[in-house]
Amino acid sequence: MNKKYRSVGRSIRKKGGVEKVKGDPVFAGDIELDNPLVLKVKRSAYAHALIRNINTEEALKIDGVKGVFTSKDIPGVNLLGIINRDQPLLAEERVRSLADGIALVAAETEEAAQLGIDAIHVEYEKLPAVFNPVEALKDGAPKIHAKGNVLFTRAVLKGNADDGFEKAYSIIEKEYTTSAIEHNYMEPDAGAGFVDEDGCLVIYASTQNPHYDHKELVSLFALEDENVRIIQAATGGGFGSKLDLNVQGFIGLALLHLKVPVRYVYSREEAYLATAKRHPFTIKIKTATDRDGRLIATRVRAVCNTGAYGSYGIAVASRSAVHGTGPYSVENVDIEVKCVYTNQTYCGAMRGFGAPQMALAHESQMDLHAEVLGIDPLAIRLLNGLEVGSLSGTGQLLTSSVGFKDCLHAIAPYYEEAKKSWVSTCSTPFKRRGVGLGAMWYGIGNTGVQNPSTARVTMEPDGTVTVFTGCAELGQGSTTVLCQIVAEILGISPDEISMVVGDTRYTTNAGATSASRQTYISGNAVKDAAESLANVLLTEAVNRLQVPKNTLVLENGEVTTTGNPDCGIGIAVLAGRIHDKGGVLSWQGYFDPETVPLDPKTGAGVPYATYAFACQMAMVEVDTLTGEVTVEKVVAAHDVGRAIHPENVVGQICGGVAMGVGFALMEKFEQGKTESMKDYHIPTASDVPEVVAIIVESEEPTGPFGAKGVGEPALIPTAPAVINGISSALNYRIYDLPASLERVLEASIQAGHFGVQEE
Amino acid sequence: MNMNYVRPRDLAEAFAFLAENGRDTTIIAGGTDVMVDLRSGELDTRFLLDISRLDELKGIRLEGENLVVGATTTLSDIYHSELLTQYAPALQKSAYNFASTQIRNVATIGGNVAHCSPCGDTVPPLVIHETKVVFSGKKGERRIPIEEVATGPYRCFLEKDEIITAFILKPVEADFADFQKIGRRKDLAISRLSMAVMVDRDSDGIISSMKFSLGACTPTPHRMTAVEEFMTGKKVTCELLFEGGKLLAEKMIEITGRRPSIIYKEPAVQGLFVRMLYPVV
Ligand SMILES: Cc1cc2nc3c(=O)[nH]c(=O)nc-3n(C[C@H](O)[C@H](O)[C@H](O)COP(=O)(O)OP(=O)(O)OC[C@H]3O[C@@H](n4cnc5c(N)ncnc54)[C@H](O)[C@@H]3O)c2cc1C
Repeated sequence: MNKKYRSVGRSIRKKGGVEKVKGDPVFAGDIELDNPLVLKVKRSAYAHALIRNINTEEALKIDGVKGVFTSKDIPGVNLLGIINRDQPLLAEERVRSLADGIALVAAETEEAAQLGIDAIHVEYEKLPAVFNPVEALKDGAPKIHAKGNVLFTRAVLKGNADDGFEKAYSIIEKEYTTSAIEHNYMEPDAGAGFVDEDGCLVIYASTQNPHYDHKELVSLFALEDENVRIIQAATGGGFGSKLDLNVQGFIGLALLHLKVPVRYVYSREEAYLATAKRHPFTIKIKTATDRDGRLIATRVRAVCNTGAYGSYGIAVASRSAVHGTGPYSVENVDIEVKCVYTNQTYCGAMRGFGAPQMALAHESQMDLHAEVLGIDPLAIRLLNGLEVGSLSGTGQLLTSSVGFKDCLHAIAPYYEEAKKSWVSTCSTPFKRRGVGLGAMWYGIGNTGVQNPSTARVTMEPDGTVTVFTGCAELGQGSTTVLCQIVAEILGISPDEISMVVGDTRYTTNAGATSASRQTYISGNAVKDAAESLANVLLTEAVNRLQVPKNTLVLENGEVTTTGNPDCGIGIAVLAGRIHDKGGVLSWQGYFDPETVPLDPKTGAGVPYATYAFACQMAMVEVDTLTGEVTVEKVVAAHDVGRAIHPENVVGQICGGVAMGVGFALMEKFEQGKTESMKDYHIPTASDVPEVVAIIVESEEPTGPFGAKGVGEPALIPTAPAVINGISSALNYRIYDLPASLERVLEASIQAGHFGVQEE
Repeated sequence: MNMNYVRPRDLAEAFAFLAENGRDTTIIAGGTDVMVDLRSGELDTRFLLDISRLDELKGIRLEGENLVVGATTTLSDIYHSELLTQYAPALQKSAYNFASTQIRNVATIGGNVAHCSPCGDTVPPLVIHETKVVFSGKKGERRIPIEEVATGPYRCFLEKDEIITAFILKPVEADFADFQKIGRRKDLAISRLSMAVMVDRDSDGIISSMKFSLGACTPTPHRMTAVEEFMTGKKVTCELLFEGGKLLAEKMIEITGRRPSIIYKEPAVQGLFVRMLYPVV
């Protein structure tokens, strides 16, 4: 990279960072409204039942209760779902899980709302329920949706797997399982709203997706676009679960009928009960190598449990199938992932969309192959790793920005050192140390479907710049990154740019803040708009400076000619002149990554325009007497294309590792048992290892300044690295997540480490 | 539903209040259990009697032969007490991994014992110090051995008009004392199992006396005298520790029966026993 950037690549102060430290941003639960009513949802008493009758009369008589609503009060289409519509806002004739809402109460106080809920009488006819997806696939299993229990199947086929296994030197076949995971964002779901003087429903929401929320509400209530306005409130984390319509629909329903301010803040218990989880997977995988360790075939049969509704289940199944090979070149591929309905709480998007689950399988397999062949885990990854010119499982030719091996090389010195001097210097008997690797690839953006972003960049005649973007900022830093990109193009300081973010009245659709897509896709959209604006500024400057356009640059708030810094003109002057002439100073930008939809039978296609790559190494110490595991250190190398804001990238990596440690060692959501953080353990600061983050920049030609994404990739390699670390410490492998005290101690006993140690 | 908060000025006022309203009253000290139970709806009470600011219930001191710990002494006080470092290090250590700093700053030892959770971390150390718990009320006071305070999980021997005012420990400067616990994560975790021990050895390294208590595994706390007797008079080796741990697991199962969690707890109890006493080898 020879060009010196002024904004891009610098860890500038986060937009709104100072305000956040001072406590200024207003979260949805803190929005001040005039005497808002509080809302509460009556949820199902059964995991599967028909509703015979809902009696709300008693509830309506309760002091302070202002309204009780059921599905009958929903004037539009009572179905939610961004990918497939199968989830009613409020149940009609059937409930499919304990999370299902049946009626909504609006009341003056929390107490009255609760009394109202208790006073609603629902007559059910209980139906047999099924919780295990394998059971749900059997003939005669309770049918959860009219179309049957299979939501979606994604196959990825390449070459001939049977031939591959025929020729193989070594074949390993195993089964892996992962647990349902609660996102556990710091801020439980919340929203508040009122009806403005034009009759528009104005809703502040904690969301990853204001423009989708808007679309859903318009459809639910059969309203015109302009009659719904969603404003993203300051949002305290989402991790995928705030892609769903959690409280927004209920707020809208109450506003529609009552026309007075309302608010709804989930308790932690309600967020646990009623919002999406990470899909638990059962993965059967069979992989084969030749004598040298080259992967020649992989066959995967995986089932993921989407619970009662689709939510983002189709995306999870599709992405996990595409990523089933891992970041490796495999000649013969036969992958099938089925996404199955059950009566569990629905599962949806969570950081990685199925790729973290799949990574446990492919990364464990890599280590197993290495062991059988007597080669090093790093070497086998280098041997098989994707590179420019590789063909993916979907037959996509990778043409650029494949920094996978760079990541492996970046890890190598730490890895060799840890193996040489750390593993053997274990401080106490009854502890064993191991070093494990986990690798991943991750397609940026949605899988084989259009997922454009739009944005507007506007300059006032006095030269001040405003960026309008629908891109939800969740604390990850997208607003800052988008600002940096515009600042770079326009040659001004990021401080001079105002950002208008996530307000459907003023911003246009940027798609969801998910799939690690915003830096790449919305980054390109703002870049496109800023370039259009830059172009008119430069054109105007040609007039003034009388030099060819290709010698002009935007720098320090001026247009100057290269090589002659004295000859320049301020952009404010140019903006004024353009304005006076009736020129355009407000430009819309657009970007949609080029993809080719996947063939429904073979999965062939180009699911993503670009991929992120990573490898992490975990240094793990296992207490062989108790099953306690300490992750001492994680070294994480991530190819992000280009780090627009390096500190943000490091932040994502550290957070991803923390979350990955939870996925690996302790997190497990069990419906009916797990109520809140009292019985669901996420890592504390003491559980999180030291993280050494290494940024690898293999520039993506279609990315804004070469950038790709890192949000989800940060998490994906951690759990397999920890599991491989435990396996190497114990010489015994764990195939099921989480690697709890029980599983690790059992492994230690099975491996013969529980007992008197010989010095 | 309607709850009143009462803060007595002194202990006498608290006793008087309880004598009259004891049946409808819940004592609150740090509130780290009470508030959780109120929110979940498990607890419904007319009065909350806040004893957390009564000076008479605070402090750690030596009184003659006894080490006295006031009931509203916080876990943070225990964490920092030099007297405890000297005379009851296992009790002090139970504060190290107790909840988090914020909880320790308000949570009290009295609340920990009175709550009668099988997982209370201060209990095994109190057991090995042969603690007498002082129950006081308007009618007077009685001293109950720590092992008898819990009549079952979350059931306290306390009468409705009584307050725990203090803990009377036998101060011991043992050769070796420790408390250890296993939780599902490194901090802010309820004990899956815990144990406290004190060991004295003679000049040949033979165990001359041992006191041992197991926590979190049995419904109420237990001093494991069978294990103490087995270990006493022997020289500590790794093999002996594994044997002692095995006996401990057997004794635990005698009390609890074979519940599903035993699959983990049986080896883990043995493992933790070995790990804790290994420094003695
Ligand atoms: C996040 C969190 C983490 C925790 N971690 C741990 C842990 O690691 N280890 C552990 O052991 N516990 C833990 N606990 C439980 C709790 O903090 C302890 O049991 C604590 O010691 C209770 O003390 P308190 O003063 O807060 O009791 P309170 O909540 O005030 O009272 C608890 C009970 O004791 C009664 N009571 C209190 N004082 C007296 C008295 N003097 N006389 C008679 N009755 C009395 C109350 O009526 C009530 O029934 C945790 C709790 C939370 C919320």
